[in-house]
Amino acid sequence: MADNSLVVAGLTRHFGAVTALDDFNLNVAKGELVALLGPSGCGKTTALRIIAGLEKSNSGQVQLNGKNITNDPAHVRNMGMVFQAYSLFPHLNVTENVAFGLKMRKISKSVREKKINAILELVGLDHHHKRFAHQLSGGQQQRVALARALVIEPEVLLLDEPLSALDAQVRTNLREEIRRLQLELGTTTLFVTHDQEEAMAISDRVGVMNKGKLEQIDTPDTLYNKPATEFVGTFVGTMNHLHTKLSDGKISLFGQSLDAMKSGNESGNVIALIRPEAITVKTDGESNATVVTRSFLGASSRVTCRTVDGTLVEALMTSAATGDLHPGSQVQLQILSKEVLVTNV
Amino acid sequence: MKNLGSKMILVLTGIFIFFPLYAATEFSMRNGAEKTHGLNAYRWIFEQSGFSENLLITARITVLAVVLNLLIMVPTVTWLHLSGQRYKRLVEILTILPLIIPVVALATGAQLALPEFLQNSVYELSFMYVVVAMPYTYRALDIGLSGHPLATLTNAARNLGASWLRVLTNVIVPTIRPSILAALFLMVALSLGEFTLAQLLHWSTFPVWVTNASQQNIIGATALAVGSLFFAWILLFGFTFFGGKKSNTVQEEA
Amino acid sequence: MKQATNPNVDVKGALSKGGAFHGFLSNFPTPLIPLFIFLSIFFMWPIGALTGNAFKSNEGAFTLANINLLFQDPYRLAFKNSITLGFISAVVGAIPGLLIAIAIEKQGSQTFKKFVASISGVLANTGGVPLAFMFLAAFGPAGLVISALKSIGLDLYGLGFTLFSFTGLVIVYAYFQIPIMVIVITPALTALRSEWKDSAASLGASKVQYWARVGIPLLLPSFIACFLLLFASAFSAFATARALTVGNIALVPLQIGSLIDGNVTVNQFNLGYALAFGMIVVSLFAMIPYIWIQSRTAKWQNK
Repeated sequence: MADNSLVVAGLTRHFGAVTALDDFNLNVAKGELVALLGPSGCGKTTALRIIAGLEKSNSGQVQLNGKNITNDPAHVRNMGMVFQAYSLFPHLNVTENVAFGLKMRKISKSVREKKINAILELVGLDHHHKRFAHQLSGGQQQRVALARALVIEPEVLLLDEPLSALDAQVRTNLREEIRRLQLELGTTTLFVTHDQEEAMAISDRVGVMNKGKLEQIDTPDTLYNKPATEFVGTFVGTMNHLHTKLSDGKISLFGQSLDAMKSGNESGNVIALIRPEAITVKTDGESNATVVTRSFLGASSRVTCRTVDGTLVEALMTSAATGDLHPGSQVQLQILSKEVLVTNV
Repeated sequence: MKNLGSKMILVLTGIFIFFPLYAATEFSMRNGAEKTHGLNAYRWIFEQSGFSENLLITARITVLAVVLNLLIMVPTVTWLHLSGQRYKRLVEILTILPLIIPVVALATGAQLALPEFLQNSVYELSFMYVVVAMPYTYRALDIGLSGHPLATLTNAARNLGASWLRVLTNVIVPTIRPSILAALFLMVALSLGEFTLAQLLHWSTFPVWVTNASQQNIIGATALAVGSLFFAWILLFGFTFFGGKKSNTVQEEA
Repeated sequence: MKQATNPNVDVKGALSKGGAFHGFLSNFPTPLIPLFIFLSIFFMWPIGALTGNAFKSNEGAFTLANINLLFQDPYRLAFKNSITLGFISAVVGAIPGLLIAIAIEKQGSQTFKKFVASISGVLANTGGVPLAFMFLAAFGPAGLVISALKSIGLDLYGLGFTLFSFTGLVIVYAYFQIPIMVIVITPALTALRSEWKDSAASLGASKVQYWARVGIPLLLPSFIACFLLLFASAFSAFATARALTVGNIALVPLQIGSLIDGNVTVNQFNLGYALAFGMIVVSLFAMIPYIWIQSRTAKWQNK
């Protein structure tokens, strides 16, 4: 508890008949980078804005370092925030933008200058002091926004889909930079995104949200390999959905008998959730499926097959292992894991 | 509660806007010195001799003004968008110049400079109206054409085999039609309300005639003012809520 | 820069197949000639002529006498009145207009905003004699408001108020000045991104600090531009002023009108042109900055 910098308890938010947040709880440790991941409308941005103080919740509490800040206005919370776009003030140049928070805190000019130079160097923009927002690329603008938020040494850094408006290449580079900065400065960070690859790549923990509820919050590994609900399993990575019957704690697929991992009270007709990399495609043995497509992704290839009952199954294998496969090939599908997650139909 | 301040401002504004209107409407419906109310005054202007005559004069002036305006502006703006991009700045400056000059000054200059034959004709007003409206009509046409990739459309049409005439009628005019209508509307509104130039150049147009006739009958004049205001509002409401941009770009589905 | 995106459409080639001007004016683009000629005859020539005459004596020689007269009463007074009227009317239109535009922005309803846009459009173009009559019905000697106040013992006209005065004009002008301000400042208000408000707040700025450091600096250019426009409108207005105050107050447009109508002093028939020239000079001081500011803000407001 003492290590927790940010504690959010029981946050609820309604907009008329719509529930944006339903009993949302979150503990973020000092220096941790936690991502809130989910589709549009899942409540992740609402949660972030309530934590920032930009919106009010209907009920619940926000605590920072043990102090209840639920009713504090945004401008006293000392949290840095970066938005998806239009972060920078258009009428101020880079230096003036970064100086803004420092000026609010009445930091003296000489100290300000030192800090600004240091942070701009840290984000790699130390030669852009006099530029204005419209003279910078999207990635550069976001870096300045980061610098501006970090230079005030905030208790928490809040990022609202900061990479969503950027090109793919810039996105990948910048997310690594965010992680690097965050680790170097030790800033507690909350990162909202709908891109699961992004969240998984740089976070200490990821919280998956759906329809206002936090479904699971765990390390990326755990989230990927042990999804608590079907939604989490499907949202994070790709998942095959195979209909089968559960009896005596076991299911039967492709002639194999496998242990079933239940998330709840599943029985009878269930859906087995299997990762593509847990399925292998063999050319020898008795055929139980036909290849539909093979997508070459470089080191690995994705093979989509249709089983005898018409289900499409996706398998991920090394390209070398799938070189002989082409549409129409008769193949045998085999599940590599011993345990398989099942969920109700 | 937090919007109380702004709501109060809007209520006060509403009162300021509508009260003179209410007062004028009430006044316009009075039956002379009697205590009763009616719509007699609204018929008054139509019954004055000189009504049709002056309305016709203004109509003719407007028609010529519209024709002149379109003849000069449409080809110019079209050309600017197709191959004259680098002259846009120049034309923008040229067409905004009339905005700088007060109409009274322009009238003084016109009376001094324009050739005799033109000054003896009421149609000199048409030419002046085109000048006065130019900042607005140019922009209306410019914005209307800017929304569409005219060069791309023209190239596509030519590529598919259309002659230049076809391109004009099937590509350019339909694209530009809403803006032409806007420019037309502007010109009509201008003519119906323009007093200064007509008065100073000593012509009797519809607005000038109405003003003079109004001296004799205040109630009738007020009825006219109220009537034209409501009429303009109804037109504009209709335009805003039922007309306007029908083409919205289709949102891409994720 | 723009040429890079403009595919080469050979309109000129098509048009020139019969044109006699092809190649004649090689540095001035042929298609722009009609516009240029039209503006030359019906705009630049009148302005040029009146400017020339402003500096001519009765005999035709160059003189500054006419201009000098402008600095003497009653013309000096007229300029003073017109400029003051322009300024006060601009203030009375600009500040309420800004507050009203902000109040409108705060309302969420899109239908309401459309409604407001329609109304503003019509009101902004209400002027001249119809407007004068409307206000007469409310604030004239027998007007509704005046009678109502009289019945509760407040005799405004007895106290010296009259619609046919400077104050009256300011009140009447407000009816279209305020909507003009609302129309001009609303795009600038909508361009104020919520992200900037939120960023400022998270960086520690209170509402007041946000407005002082971000909101107002961003709104200022449009506000100033509109102020200039309102000034020029009120300064140059003719019809309403004539309807309500002719003979009562010295105003430049009315003096020019009177001179054109033939009330000419035999010695100074070029005075009218000098007055018009003076009007143009004052108007230039307002409209040129207006145009400059508008072209600048258009750039970042669209970003």
